[in-house]
Amino acid sequence: MILEKNRYFEIFRVTEESLRRLVAEGIRRGGDYSDLFFENTTLTNLMLRDGEVSAGGNLVDYGVGVRVLSGGKTGYAYSESTASADMLAAARAAAAIAGSGGAEGPFNVNETLKKARVLYDSFSPQAANGDRLVRKFFPGEPNPAADRYPSEIGWRDTRAADFIPFLRKLDAEIRRRDTRVSKVTAMLVWKVSDILMYNSSGELKFETRPLATVSVTVVFSHKGKIDTKGVSRSFRFGAEMLSDALFNDLVDNALKGLDARFEARRPAGGEMSVVMGAGASGILLHEAMGHAFEADFNRKGQSVFSERMGQRICPPGIRILDDATLKGSRGALNFDDEGVPGQKTYMVEDGILTSYLHDRISARHYGVTPTGNGRRESFRYAPIPRMRTTYMESGNADPEAIIASVRSGIFVDEFSNGQVKIGEGDFTFFVKSGFLIEDGRLTMPVKDINIIGNGPRALADIVAVGNDLRIDDSAWTCGKEQSVPVSCGIPTVLVSRLTVGGE
Amino acid sequence: MEGILTEKEIALAQRCIRFAREAGAAAVRITLNKSLTNLVGMLSGEVDKVSRSLDRNLTVHLFVDGRFGSFSINRLDDEDVVRDFILDAAETVRMMAEEPCRRLPDAARKVQDAVSGTEAGLFDPAYASLDPSIRLEMARKSSLWDRREKLEKGFTLLSEEGEYSDSIDDTLILDSEGLCCRHTETSFEIGYEITVADAEGNRFSGYWWDATSRLDAILPSLENCSETALEQAVAQIGPQSHPGGKINIAVRSECTSKLLNPILNALGGYSLQQSNSFLLDSIGKKLFSERLTVRDFPRHKGEMGAKWFDSEGVATADSVIIEKGVVKRYFINTFISGKTGLSPTVEDPNHPVVESTGDCATEADVLRLLGDGILVTGFNGGNSNSATGDFSYGIEGFAFRDGRITHPVREMLMTGNFLTLWQHLAFAADDARPCRTRSIPTLGFTDVEVR
Repeated sequence: MILEKNRYFEIFRVTEESLRRLVAEGIRRGGDYSDLFFENTTLTNLMLRDGEVSAGGNLVDYGVGVRVLSGGKTGYAYSESTASADMLAAARAAAAIAGSGGAEGPFNVNETLKKARVLYDSFSPQAANGDRLVRKFFPGEPNPAADRYPSEIGWRDTRAADFIPFLRKLDAEIRRRDTRVSKVTAMLVWKVSDILMYNSSGELKFETRPLATVSVTVVFSHKGKIDTKGVSRSFRFGAEMLSDALFNDLVDNALKGLDARFEARRPAGGEMSVVMGAGASGILLHEAMGHAFEADFNRKGQSVFSERMGQRICPPGIRILDDATLKGSRGALNFDDEGVPGQKTYMVEDGILTSYLHDRISARHYGVTPTGNGRRESFRYAPIPRMRTTYMESGNADPEAIIASVRSGIFVDEFSNGQVKIGEGDFTFFVKSGFLIEDGRLTMPVKDINIIGNGPRALADIVAVGNDLRIDDSAWTCGKEQSVPVSCGIPTVLVSRLTVGGE
Repeated sequence: MEGILTEKEIALAQRCIRFAREAGAAAVRITLNKSLTNLVGMLSGEVDKVSRSLDRNLTVHLFVDGRFGSFSINRLDDEDVVRDFILDAAETVRMMAEEPCRRLPDAARKVQDAVSGTEAGLFDPAYASLDPSIRLEMARKSSLWDRREKLEKGFTLLSEEGEYSDSIDDTLILDSEGLCCRHTETSFEIGYEITVADAEGNRFSGYWWDATSRLDAILPSLENCSETALEQAVAQIGPQSHPGGKINIAVRSECTSKLLNPILNALGGYSLQQSNSFLLDSIGKKLFSERLTVRDFPRHKGEMGAKWFDSEGVATADSVIIEKGVVKRYFINTFISGKTGLSPTVEDPNHPVVESTGDCATEADVLRLLGDGILVTGFNGGNSNSATGDFSYGIEGFAFRDGRITHPVREMLMTGNFLTLWQHLAFAADDARPCRTRSIPTLGFTDVEVR
């Protein structure tokens, strides 16, 4: 949602002139860029436990972060108050990164900003972008017609009581559909954040970001065995997202695969072919490859892809991208948290590494344009390169034919708890559910095992990509230093060899 | 008082009890927290980042008409905003279903002796002596980047990233029945990550971290943290494959919490009440090796994790969690006690300690006693099933033979069930790092499935 500019000025009790003064204060001691990130977040949650919605709450989080860049160095401070004196103190604390030069007292705001603009904006990224025309500025006010968070029913126009029936109905339907259900916990959380950004280049951006999540955890007991299953869905839509379709999707997925889950065993471990099912397996792409594409890890020489720009890293035909443009997706952004427009960023085109994911700092370091990946958890954090919705585009293969081509291996439809070592590229993923593949057919259900591999090697070992890309709308949260909402997706993909842990 | 909460902020918290009463609350608990963190980030020998974070948060737990809700706000400068927030909160609570098990803890269980905030011995007044220039100097001193050419022997140092930070955290809990308790602690931390490349260009990274509540205690770590991270990275050069199977494993104290945390979580009230625990009905049962004893020492003054009260204001006390393999206690808060009929305790363990088995003190002793196997120095991903206790973790570390390390290993997996794993606990050393709130030494297990 994008409201009138003045509405944001009212919320944060600022004017365009006071914003200019603040960023000027940030750079007057020698910094070459400064930006402000205002946030007013309200979060509400409702929890159903033991059949009743008997717990809930609200959170109000309000403040402004001030960042000052001096070369590649970052000074950061924030204030939970937008009173002038408090914001000024934060700006001065952030400005300490540039040293203690510069006189105290009155100064010329226009002159200060002009000098800084010359320094920061004199940088020209075109040459490093193969002579492609790239933007240096992102001028203009946000356009409500291009909003990626469509909200028919604004969350702030609702009451918590409106949603209690939805949670109760979820509980009742899940229990009705399967007698093995012993406990249901359901939670609805909605968050609305008013955001205002301003920087020393004079760019002003503002928007209101909704984010709502429904999650359900079910405990089942059957013949003395207990097991659990969780499902969640998360979107940047208004309250109209609580539709019948979402309700049915949650119930179906909370109960899906239950018979297999009670029958599931750990297979014999070893190196084997792995088929990653379309959708949620995309988390493997996020963890094992996506992080290594983030430009800060590369700028610092820590990523396994640091020296591989322009090189082939996987078979021809494969395209991997990070996308802020999917309307209503958890990873959708009109603007990143530095005011750079959200966009599609291809990291891998036809198997060649073509771009890292940049914030303004890394873009300047590499001489390219920022890719809209500068994100932060809240005003308390400086932005760093982060993913949005990361996925691999569809290939040509029929998913069933991919499975049929495997003599011995496993098919995985749900991963969790992935982790990667950025320097080495080694990753490990926990398989929540899947099946053995024997002679091209899915046979014994498997669960609670790990798959281990190496990111660059796994990319190189991809031998088939299905034509069935699916974006997974679960409540994925990336935890690199700060927590940010992301999404992921993948078509069915066959990797010729990975190590599978088992008995 | 030594903390950073001001008289004005404390007075506001006290008035919030009145606001809640006026909104119709039968009872209310207020938690007021304020923290200040200063951080200096280093990147390859240069200051890369400085930040200063001052946070305030006021949480209101409201008990209205037999219903409950929890609400939080950081806009504390305007009392009218806070009062309106509490009025709205009370209205929201009235929309919830009745829940008779939600109530304040009994008065007899509440803490009486946490008045100044410094009782736990985790506050260092020397914190006040730090200023930005001292912090920059401390961070610069911690880098080895300028000495790297002398250190590079058979490898290239690709990057060095580190952070020095210090913080003060001040928490006050009040309730409408007269509870007033406070906890103040300081923290000083240093952490480094080093990436190196071997002669073939293969990358290896190492990490080291230290934390303490006292300024003078962090100073030695400023000198050696990055070097220890470098040692960790270099030690991994030249990994070899290692045969899997059921083998002995030792787990370095640095990462043993990965194996104990699921046990402590399974003893938590919420997991038990939702039947989402592999330790249901386990009190009094011998489920683990006789060599496993875990105690909670929240009142060991000055030790990380020491705290005189929990989030409800209930007084902590030293206790036995597992004794010679027998489960001795769950962690049950007031709400879960009402739901389950189990006796209430503190909400969580604060400073759990795994006792040494007495026959080994160090990692080297554990390797010697186990003979052959793999020493796990880090976990890479994986997960566990909270209902069944099944787990599968990626591991890295070193193979050892006849008690001596032979070569690094990586891309391996450790798979099993926590009940079985802890039944095979053979040795617990006496080398837990004091920077951890969970004090767990190097452990030795037999018959662990590794691939």
